Amino acid sequence: MNLDWSVVWENRGALLEGAGITISLAVTTMAAALPLGLGIAVLRESRWRVIRLLTTAYVEMFRSTPLILQIYWAFYVMPVALGLRLDAITTALFGLIFNIGAYNSETFRAGLRSIRTGQHNAGMALGMSPFQVFRTVVFPQALRRVLPALASTWISLFKDTSLVSVIAVGDLSYASLQLRSQTFRVFEFLTAMAVLYWAMGYPQAKLVDHLHRRFKVTE
Amino acid sequence: MTIDRAHATALPLLWFREVEKHYGGFTALAGVSLQVYRGEVVCIIGPSGSGKSTLLRCANLLEPFSSGAILFEGQDITRAARPASIRQRIGMVFQSFELFPHMTALQNIMSGPLTVKRTKRVQAEAEAGVLLDRVGLAGNAQSYPSALSGGQQQRVAIARALAMHPDILLFDEPTSALDPETVGEVLAVMQKLAADDVTMVVVTHEMGFARRAADWVVVMDHGQIVEEGPPALIFGSPTSARTRTFLSHMHSAH
Amino acid sequence: MSLAPILANWRFLTTALGVTLALTATSMIIGIIVGLIAGLLRTYGGRVADVCIGFYVDTMRAVPVLAILIWIFFAFPIAFGTSIKPFTAAATGLGLHIAAYFAEAVRAGLLSVRPGQTRAAFALGMTRLQAIRVVVLPQALIRMLPALGSLTTITIKDTAIAAAIAVPELMRQSQIIAGQTYRPFEVYTFAMLVYFLLCFPIARFVDSRFVRLAHRGAS
Repeated sequence: MNLDWSVVWENRGALLEGAGITISLAVTTMAAALPLGLGIAVLRESRWRVIRLLTTAYVEMFRSTPLILQIYWAFYVMPVALGLRLDAITTALFGLIFNIGAYNSETFRAGLRSIRTGQHNAGMALGMSPFQVFRTVVFPQALRRVLPALASTWISLFKDTSLVSVIAVGDLSYASLQLRSQTFRVFEFLTAMAVLYWAMGYPQAKLVDHLHRRFKVTE
Repeated sequence: MTIDRAHATALPLLWFREVEKHYGGFTALAGVSLQVYRGEVVCIIGPSGSGKSTLLRCANLLEPFSSGAILFEGQDITRAARPASIRQRIGMVFQSFELFPHMTALQNIMSGPLTVKRTKRVQAEAEAGVLLDRVGLAGNAQSYPSALSGGQQQRVAIARALAMHPDILLFDEPTSALDPETVGEVLAVMQKLAADDVTMVVVTHEMGFARRAADWVVVMDHGQIVEEGPPALIFGSPTSARTRTFLSHMHSAH
Repeated sequence: MSLAPILANWRFLTTALGVTLALTATSMIIGIIVGLIAGLLRTYGGRVADVCIGFYVDTMRAVPVLAILIWIFFAFPIAFGTSIKPFTAAATGLGLHIAAYFAEAVRAGLLSVRPGQTRAAFALGMTRLQAIRVVVLPQALIRMLPALGSLTTITIKDTAIAAAIAVPELMRQSQIIAGQTYRPFEVYTFAMLVYFLLCFPIARFVDSRFVRLAHRGAS
């Protein structure tokens, strides 16, 4: 086997651009999926059965099917079903946001539910309004529980962005696969891709562990 | 004054010699010497944190100690190459029972013989049944620990220790974690064992039990033996001021 | 909307579903075996094992499954001058990936069994190995059951990524039919339903089993 790593160096611009798109996909997705998740979490506690049913169906559907299929579905089915023509990157974002939104809603729901009603009552007993109770008692406690789970979801999301390459969004995996077929330096570019993902993901995984340790919930 | 010790022989079964244990700046055991003879029931009493439980764990090599020696049947076990083989012959009952939750009562009792002694299953099962009967739980063979009361769990734990046919049984505050109403059933089992001449060392806060069942009572405080003697002497006319203080605290607490 | 493309390719899709299940099972077996060994070694194997396995676990958490599968299928054979079948590559990649998560679950389970249990095992004369095998590990495995459920559904979903290296599983074959029949809506929606019917009940089933067994792992 003769390897030629200089090809990788020569194409560093394209690879880094792909990595940049990977990062922006992850950031944009999380930014949109946080409010979406919180909204769904609140709606799932709604007093109307229909809303509870619909939101539950959404969450379970997206959590129980492969993301890669959801992305295909968004790409091929959404235009037909909704009569909407979107470019690949917008389609990809839709797929990612709805997927991560479902996971986030579960995280928020667990966080909100984990606060014992005793805490709520204690706040009310001090004469706080329901909103004050939420802001000063429930929310800060829920955040400590929610943050580590959100951080774990972030790690998965960062990796999962690679799946948008199947609909030709130019992220790191797509860029690497393209360079592979243009140059025929298969080993070099696939290894470079893995190493780049590793270099970005490994410190994040370590950071998440740190968060988990720091926010270890004690009662 | 010489005190008559009925079971005394030339060679104690278990012999602590100047056992010391320090960690950090703290002294848990400050040179404890104690003999336990075959067939004897020794109760160790004293305030919390006086080193009673630590001494017991050292005897079973579950806890290392800093200096001194522990002899079992005259053999120094301090640096035993295979602690497991010593522990097979020294049974232990814990304050928190420590039954294995994934095994039924019967399986708990069989676990030692099956795993350690490689006893045949049929034989281990038969023996476990007899032991379960002996602690009054013949009907609970198939119960998991989660379905048993604290007192029942502790009785299974005693049967589990007995299944290894140990030469001596160590009890580490066996009734301290129990609801008051189940303490009696455990003490009754222990008293029956005492009557059967099982050698026992019992760390306990149950003064009534110590008075009734012990052949020898040891009072510990601050990692030292303050006083030792037959129960009539310790409870009737203790010589040490610290013993008197401790006993008066125990009485006022009850 | 018509079911014709599904009905016409019924056999094809059933075979594909069989491949998905076979891939899931093979990956899980690899994952459980490797994960169990890695988890035990990381917990009891001393400092060096801890650091090495920690590196392995965090690497698997950092690199996307897609990158792992593509690397094993395309790059690995070049480096070692062999060839590897798509199914083998996928099972190896998915297995080694899920093994990292298994290892963490095993470790968390082992560490959560309180030390008194080990002491009780020692007091019966058990050796360290016997105490782990007879007392600690069985309890840890019971405590791991919820994790086992979610790792199974994760693996089922991740098998869809094997479509990228042409393993003829459900995702891949759905793509083929969707392309041949020009009916992506029906085909992908059907695939979505099949994955849902696989994943959703498994998570529920494992949870319900755990509720019945939990007391046997609670020392």
